[in-house]
Amino acid sequence: MRPETPPEILLPATLGEALASLGERAAAPLAGGTWVMRAPLRREPFAPAYVGLSRIPELSLVEVTDDAIAIGAAVTHADLANALAGFPEFAGLRLAAGSSANPAVRSAATVGGNLCTADFAAADLVPALLCLDATVELAGPAGSRLIPLADFLAQRTGLLPGHILTKVVVARTGQRTAHARLPLRKAGDYPVAIVSVAMRVDAMERIGAARIAVGSVEATARRWTGLEDALLGEPLDGARTTGIAGSLLASFNGRDGVEAPGWYRVRVLPALAGRAVASLVAA
Amino acid sequence: MSETAEKAVQDFRRRDARDKLLGRTRYTIDRGAAGMLHAALLRSDVPSGRIARLDVSAAARMPGVRAVVTHEDAPGRAGLGIADHPLFATDVVRYCGEPIAAVAAESEAEARAALAAITVDIEPLPAVLDMGASLAEDAPLVHPGWQGYEVLTQGGARGGNVAWEASVDRGDVDAAFARSDVTVVESSFRVGRQNHLSLEPRAVVANYEDGRYHIETSTQVPWTVRNTTATLLGVPASAIRVTVPPVGGGFGLKFDCALEPFAALLARKSGRTVRLVNSREEEMLTCLFRENAEIRIRSAVAPDGSIAGREAVVLMDCGAYGGEQVFLTTMTAHTLGGNYRLGAVRIVSRAVYTNTAPNGAFRACNGVYNTFALERHTDEIAAAIGMAPEAFRFKNVIGDGDLGATGQVFEGDVLAPMLEKMAALRAKDPSPQLTDGRLSGRATTVGTWFVFTGPSAATVNMNADGSATLVTSGVEIGSGSMMQALPQIVAATLGLTPDKVVVRAADTDAAGYDVGVGGGRTTVSLGAASRTAAIEVRTKLLKVASDMLEAAAEDLVIADGRIEIAGAKGSGATIAEVASHGQMRFGPLSGTGSFAAAGTPAMAGCCAGHFIEALDIPVFAVHDCDVAVDPLTGHVEVLAYRVVQDVGRALNPSAIFGQIQGGVVQGLGYALHEEADVGPDGHIRQKSFETYRVPLAGDVVPVAIELHEGAPSIGPLGTKGAGEVPILNVGATVACAVANATGKTVSELPLTPPRVLALLIDEAQAPVFPHIRDRHADNLTAPGR
Amino acid sequence: MTIRLTVNGETREFAAAPMTPLVDVLRDGLHLTGAKPVCREGFCGACMVLVDAVPTVACLTPVALVEGRDIETVEGLTSGESPTPVQAALEEHDAVQCGMCFPGMVVALTHLTTSGTCEPNRAAVKEALVGNVCRCTGYERIVDAALAVMEAGHE
Ligand SMILES: Cc1cc2nc3c(=O)[nH]c(=O)nc-3n(C[C@H](O)[C@H](O)[C@H](O)COP(=O)(O)OP(=O)(O)OC[C@H]3O[C@@H](n4cnc5c(N)ncnc54)[C@H](O)[C@@H]3O)c2cc1C
Ligand code: FES
Ligand code: FES
Repeated sequence: MRPETPPEILLPATLGEALASLGERAAAPLAGGTWVMRAPLRREPFAPAYVGLSRIPELSLVEVTDDAIAIGAAVTHADLANALAGFPEFAGLRLAAGSSANPAVRSAATVGGNLCTADFAAADLVPALLCLDATVELAGPAGSRLIPLADFLAQRTGLLPGHILTKVVVARTGQRTAHARLPLRKAGDYPVAIVSVAMRVDAMERIGAARIAVGSVEATARRWTGLEDALLGEPLDGARTTGIAGSLLASFNGRDGVEAPGWYRVRVLPALAGRAVASLVAA
Repeated sequence: MSETAEKAVQDFRRRDARDKLLGRTRYTIDRGAAGMLHAALLRSDVPSGRIARLDVSAAARMPGVRAVVTHEDAPGRAGLGIADHPLFATDVVRYCGEPIAAVAAESEAEARAALAAITVDIEPLPAVLDMGASLAEDAPLVHPGWQGYEVLTQGGARGGNVAWEASVDRGDVDAAFARSDVTVVESSFRVGRQNHLSLEPRAVVANYEDGRYHIETSTQVPWTVRNTTATLLGVPASAIRVTVPPVGGGFGLKFDCALEPFAALLARKSGRTVRLVNSREEEMLTCLFRENAEIRIRSAVAPDGSIAGREAVVLMDCGAYGGEQVFLTTMTAHTLGGNYRLGAVRIVSRAVYTNTAPNGAFRACNGVYNTFALERHTDEIAAAIGMAPEAFRFKNVIGDGDLGATGQVFEGDVLAPMLEKMAALRAKDPSPQLTDGRLSGRATTVGTWFVFTGPSAATVNMNADGSATLVTSGVEIGSGSMMQALPQIVAATLGLTPDKVVVRAADTDAAGYDVGVGGGRTTVSLGAASRTAAIEVRTKLLKVASDMLEAAAEDLVIADGRIEIAGAKGSGATIAEVASHGQMRFGPLSGTGSFAAAGTPAMAGCCAGHFIEALDIPVFAVHDCDVAVDPLTGHVEVLAYRVVQDVGRALNPSAIFGQIQGGVVQGLGYALHEEADVGPDGHIRQKSFETYRVPLAGDVVPVAIELHEGAPSIGPLGTKGAGEVPILNVGATVACAVANATGKTVSELPLTPPRVLALLIDEAQAPVFPHIRDRHADNLTAPGR
Repeated sequence: MTIRLTVNGETREFAAAPMTPLVDVLRDGLHLTGAKPVCREGFCGACMVLVDAVPTVACLTPVALVEGRDIETVEGLTSGESPTPVQAALEEHDAVQCGMCFPGMVVALTHLTTSGTCEPNRAAVKEALVGNVCRCTGYERIVDAALAVMEAGHE
């Protein structure tokens, strides 16, 4: 089932050219292609043309400074997992990048593609970056700007046309992070629910400040502020966290899918929160 | 004889492995060639409707289009038992995915574009999408004209949306249930569909030459394809030749005629070679699934733990056409009615029409869910009467001289010694202790399956170079039987090594009739025919040698590529010399063999509507597993899996072990992950690998295996089929273990995490079947027959 | 558009629509039918090839994105008929049944056993094979074969 006029792919070498082509052709960015290439299966049309991002060098860089880490949008999941190997504070993000999908997909699918696919609720990197309070850089005809990830997620379908997400910036604050995902098999399928956490822990191993994000449960990942508040001052204890989280589910409205009903996605959140926190103890 | 059997047992490696590993094997999907046309099917998008208008004229004028065909080109109806299935929807469509027209064009894109140019107006009609709706009073009929269909096999009761009904009635069941001392246990079960998900989809390449069709296809049943295509096209079966390249997985999916007639029609109409391959989405939508089923079973159990009476109703969803389900109603008596001695029994098994994609055959068809139901029910009985499940099984399993449900007399004690072997196997590697908060459970189950015997033919040509060619209509679908068991049998009979036996790929022009590869029958039926053919060749070889060596044929031994005078090694000649001499003197040496079902008797008058009343070769299995259940997420992990399997005689243990590992893993998919169901729009909801989850490497464990040899079998050299049965009681064993781990009533499969969590938090809905009536007789189309 | 690729060591130039999946170009254009299009959505791995030595699902790879790159298919792993260590081990372990998964499986295992990215233990090998579906064998012999190759490599 090929389209009548097959879309063209442009492969610009600079961001400027890429942005220009996007404007001229009503084209869409093409990163790893792992989402775009499945459009026929979703019965979606291809865009009239695509602008490939693989030849724009700065999009494929991971830059680490003392205060922040900047991840180029065309960095693949596999490259991100490798780049984070030496940074225990990013254990959660590393696990998200290194255990989503399968190895071949991880070496093609990119950070930008994962964040820009609004219709994909089960994205692993989204909650993993949300709990890190990440900022994204969006480049467009009028230049580049930084947007907090949460705002980007809320508005991305409106923001993206004609734009390219160029990088994701995460501050280095020395917190402990974890990512608990729940595929239905051991691995290999989309997670039906995800809990990502970033926590500051005091000398007594008590939770000082927490950011907790939930993915795949609703259409878009979001923070679980009720649990963040409830855990303040609590010990780092998985079972205890599970217990506390159990009474804080009312705000979630799980999405029904072929693979799992909405109630299930919500119901497993306490267990995932517990697993995430338990893995911080070990950390 | 026994010496031959010993020689036949070997770890002979399959000849096709190397090319498969090098990527050189060319399956049907790989057989594209320049100048071939590409075909595509227009399929219904609604589950039920009247075709008000069908106009293909615009499509026929589209660029690249070379032929368009519709129901007008294929007048016939085919089926198993009843001829209810036309090739194309004619006046009405009965399921989502039903073919309406087919196009062949120069490219696949042009063919698909032409489909879009076909005008088809379908006025929707009410649809019955599940068996409850189908059996409701005043339900619309899927086949209003059912009474007019040709009946191909007599004996099954039919009526309305019941396509076929098979029933068993042995002994006085009412009296058993009326006894004052019995405990009555009743259970209900429901299972969904299972997709074979063979990696190679159904695919065909057809052409029409010299007045005959040549169909190259990915099938398990070349002769069914030949005969059914002929029926549907209204041409003589002799006008069709079917050949089969290596098949990239079947598991029963390819046990029926599928895309072949479309490609054949288009080839004839266009005068060109036509290739037709299902897309993965089409495969998912129109898979001949393992059927969804609903089961109610009741037992009256005496205080000593014997089963005084049993009654059961099994509803099997056949989808829009009867197909294989009509036949498979037969199996309920042998599977749900199997395993245990029963005082009195009555069972009805009904194939029910719905407006959904037709279901079909799948490895241990019907047996898989009936064994699940029976074994869970058995555990419920044991609990109800306060007996340990193992003790209950030891006491009640079928043994030598016992009667089966249809009154067949079983030979030999097989299950009881197998249960003992399982206890020993388990003792070697005891259940792991869990310390992570998960619930642990273990279970042992038993199962009864059979070898689908039926007609097979073989020819063995002895070549002057000392090799032999085996010609059959058998197909290599991956199990290795055609690459291992058959050459091993022929080689052992002829004193050759199996690498000297060339096996001809299936060709209906070259070999005689065969029922097909499935039902564990290759080694048995094709094996028996091959062995007979080889014995004829051996007799001829010995006669020639006796002339050459001037010794009586009885004094000759044939072994290791030579024929010698007994006790005088080096006295004789090589088989090549003998064959070559024979060829010069008498013409080339060859032999033929054939095999048919033995026709083991059932008890007179106790079954109706059965295609097989008693099992020629029963096959038994005992499975055991340990599971861990996560109480917070419902995930079930299988920690250990053990199999004791009745194989008669293991000709190639490595091949059998491979079949067991693979079959168990497919069963784990059925037990835990694989779910296919019909959505409110009549489409199968699981449209791709994304939502249809088969086990991956991380989800499996190495199966601990013990083969049970020596049980009676009429198979050649005492063999039984070994490839089908490994999946039989996996669903049952996992379900019983999960029930034991959770203390909950497990009545549905698959045990996906959401389903298990619902059980754990007491939110699972127990299956209720208002359309299964309380009184057994009310579930029969023809009460009292 | 005209596309130039190195396929199994040889530079090939041909016309193809840029979004054509690499697997179709290999099979239909270059007659390399080893890689199989099975799911066309990245889940089964039957279409796997090496792109610059990295296992890649050819069904989701638009051919324009691999312009100028080095593609190796299962057919290119061997010269002539002598199997690679991975192929020899799979044969030795009697792992093959229908065979449809093996072109992709061999590609995945070739990388896994030579790249040093996978620990030589069962759990790690299984994790690495999560994108390769085999419907016939139940996987364990494939894992055994991979471990045998890795162990032999360490001797
Ligand atoms: C088999 C399989 C399993 C998977 N399992 C998981 C899983 O477990 N967890 C998970 O998170 N994901 C999973 N995925 C999804 C996968 O992560 C997404 O397909 C992927 O993230 C998309 O990235 P890409 O680079 O391939 O994007 P593309 O397909 O190239 O693009 C996706 C969309 O994003 C847009 N886009 C891409 N880059 C940019 C940019 N820089 N700026 C603006 N717009 C852009 C494109 O225009 C397009 O609309 C799986 C995918 C497959 C095939
Ligand atoms: S066909 Fe490419 S991964 Fe399945
Ligand atoms: S051998 Fe058949 S899919 Fe792997």
